[in-house]
Amino acid sequence: MKIPRLLQAALVLAGVYFGFVVVFDVILEAVIPASLLVMYMFFVTAGVFMVFTYDEDQTRELVAPIKALVEDPAKRLWRNLVFAIVPLAVGGATYMQMQPGFEAPLELRTIHPAPPTTAKIYGKRVNLLQLENPFRKLEKEDPEQFRELVNEGAAVYIRNCQYCHGDKLDGQGPYADGLNPTPLNFQDVGTIAQLQESYLFWRITTGGPGLPKEAAPWISSMPVWQDFLTEDEVWQVILYLYDYTGHRPRSWEHE
Amino acid sequence: MMAGGLMKRILAPAIAAGLLALCSGPVSAQSAAQNGDAEKGETVYIKRCLQCHGDEGDGLGPAAERLNPPPRDFTLGLYKIKSSAFDADLPNDEDLFRMVRDGMPGTAMPGWSDLLSEQEIRDVIAYIKSFAELEGTPEGQVDYGTRVQTSPESIAAGDKLFHADDRCSECHGETGKGDAIKKLKNDNGERTWPRNLTKPWTFRASNDPKDIFARISAGIPTTQMPSFADPKSSKKLSIEERWHVANYVAALAKTEMVVRPENTVIQAARVEGELPAAPDDPVWKTAPPSTFFMVPQIVGKSRFFTTANDTVSVRALYNDKQIAIHLEWDDRTRSIPGDDKARSIADAELSEDAIAVQFPMTIPRGMEKPYFLMGDAAKPVNLWRWSSGTTEAPERITMLDATGIAAQEARDAAATSVAAKGSYKAGTWRVVMTRPLRTETVDRDLQFEEGQFIPIAFFAWDGSNSESGTSHGMTTWYWLLLKPTAGAKPAISALIAVFLIGGILLWWGRGAAARNAGRAS
Repeated sequence: MKIPRLLQAALVLAGVYFGFVVVFDVILEAVIPASLLVMYMFFVTAGVFMVFTYDEDQTRELVAPIKALVEDPAKRLWRNLVFAIVPLAVGGATYMQMQPGFEAPLELRTIHPAPPTTAKIYGKRVNLLQLENPFRKLEKEDPEQFRELVNEGAAVYIRNCQYCHGDKLDGQGPYADGLNPTPLNFQDVGTIAQLQESYLFWRITTGGPGLPKEAAPWISSMPVWQDFLTEDEVWQVILYLYDYTGHRPRSWEHE
Repeated sequence: MMAGGLMKRILAPAIAAGLLALCSGPVSAQSAAQNGDAEKGETVYIKRCLQCHGDEGDGLGPAAERLNPPPRDFTLGLYKIKSSAFDADLPNDEDLFRMVRDGMPGTAMPGWSDLLSEQEIRDVIAYIKSFAELEGTPEGQVDYGTRVQTSPESIAAGDKLFHADDRCSECHGETGKGDAIKKLKNDNGERTWPRNLTKPWTFRASNDPKDIFARISAGIPTTQMPSFADPKSSKKLSIEERWHVANYVAALAKTEMVVRPENTVIQAARVEGELPAAPDDPVWKTAPPSTFFMVPQIVGKSRFFTTANDTVSVRALYNDKQIAIHLEWDDRTRSIPGDDKARSIADAELSEDAIAVQFPMTIPRGMEKPYFLMGDAAKPVNLWRWSSGTTEAPERITMLDATGIAAQEARDAAATSVAAKGSYKAGTWRVVMTRPLRTETVDRDLQFEEGQFIPIAFFAWDGSNSESGTSHGMTTWYWLLLKPTAGAKPAISALIAVFLIGGILLWWGRGAAARNAGRAS
């Protein structure tokens, strides 16, 4: 049995819509703004329409059931029904749409903004492009001392950072739920694994207030750590973050 | 003592194991297979647990004094959450397994099921037990009997038992908020506070009646929570009675006051006539509360880690002239500096209890807001700070302009017509703050506007928990919305849409009919 082309088009649209919902809402559990879904479906609908009206025969076949509904006297009852329901449905949708919305405004922010080339940290101007973790080289040169530094980083982390970023470095510390934006998850491949150690140093030492405007510094609850930790402690914590998660920092070499 | 200990530690488990093997072969075989390997557990411990619990297992990791509760000291071999009998020294391995796998809500202990396999958890438990040389299985279990399902009758029975002879209310308070005035200490001599039973997210196991039943039956070792299954106890309860109490306690969770993460907007409804200025005015019950988590102020100098309060519930109403904000939060003690009784309960020097609401000085037109922690130099904030009063001074409201946590300037609150009234009852503070929607000091005070999303944040101080100055709880920015009345606009638009679409369809249908008629003739 051949499926009418109008029904085919409707099925394609429904399939795309539910596919989107299944993939993003159910499987990925991502919060996709309704406005984005609307825009996406607009383009899909336009695309489907173009494909289904590729030539005249196809177009005719597509609109045939609609034409028949309106013009065929035998389908009068159905036509009257559709003509009554459609305006009412549009009216209802308009009414709902016009109700004042109480959804909080969306706050789009860049999570990892581009770093400045230099920043003032611990009272001196630091060139972030050339900055390296002074302890990193010990990983090969003196593994024992390196291990000690990692352990010291662990102590600094547990004493200072785990309240928000969590014992497991997964951004689920005991106070994470009370913060917005929520603390970063370092286990995730999208955070420290994508960054250089100098970037982490900049983000830790200058904290939320050190962010550029596109990253909304006014809502970040990351403290300004140069007020609380020494330079060495910050580098040690950075060693610990990579050691615990098993991620490697990005570097200019080997890329 | 020696002989008794030996009897308990070695003989009893052996007998129990023998009995188990006799009555339930497959189960005991399974538990043998589940036994952990302490040596392998040590590797897991070093990587995952040592940072908080310490390399000696004594709970003295680097964060110990910043955590409340502190990490468990494994060398004592005592565990709070257990389902073995009240007089059994040991917890069940299953109890420890659950705590490691699922974590303990309201503490820094996370659930480890995503990073550790079941076997690794069993191994680490074997290692943890070795700190106190715990061996074998406990000599008795909590007898759950037949579970009494929750029902209004069971809850009512539990309510009676909870309060009879002050059985539970002696410590947990009349309404279960842990506000009774009994000073409690744990075995270490440290001050402990009874659980606020209306906050289920702070229950270390869960607030499922079965877990509550186990706590009531086995008690909570190292604390003053006793066993109500102990036949020697004058407040002893039968199994059925304990189920009633468990059902009652589970029902104390106030779902209306639970944090819903998606709820970031306090919706203020418009009312005709006067706003309720009294905190206990029944009108407030009609406004839905928005509850937010409060976290300790650990961002700015000086950091403070152990706040007493973890939530605040907010309601708001407005009329054509004024706005009223109703704040409600639980506090076990009313802190009155100068009052001897209050000081003796608090066991510390007292400050006033206080709460503050923060607004930007002007409604932001773009995304940019003032820094959430009391503003910044470019974007100052208003703080309406209420404090509870001392024996000498009554409660009062202060208006502060702030450009940072250490940069606040007090202003005459009366000049901006901000007013506040507080009331303390059964472990709960309720405070109402009111202000005219508009003031004459347009450049220094927020001017409220209908339909605008206005950033709002909160700060709270518990005076009997050494909270004052920069030591306090806080929230990040949320929103306050003065809900505009929709008016006739949606209805009119809907009517226009109906007529427009209806008209087009009618025109189309008629055209088709005319063409048909033309063809027919």
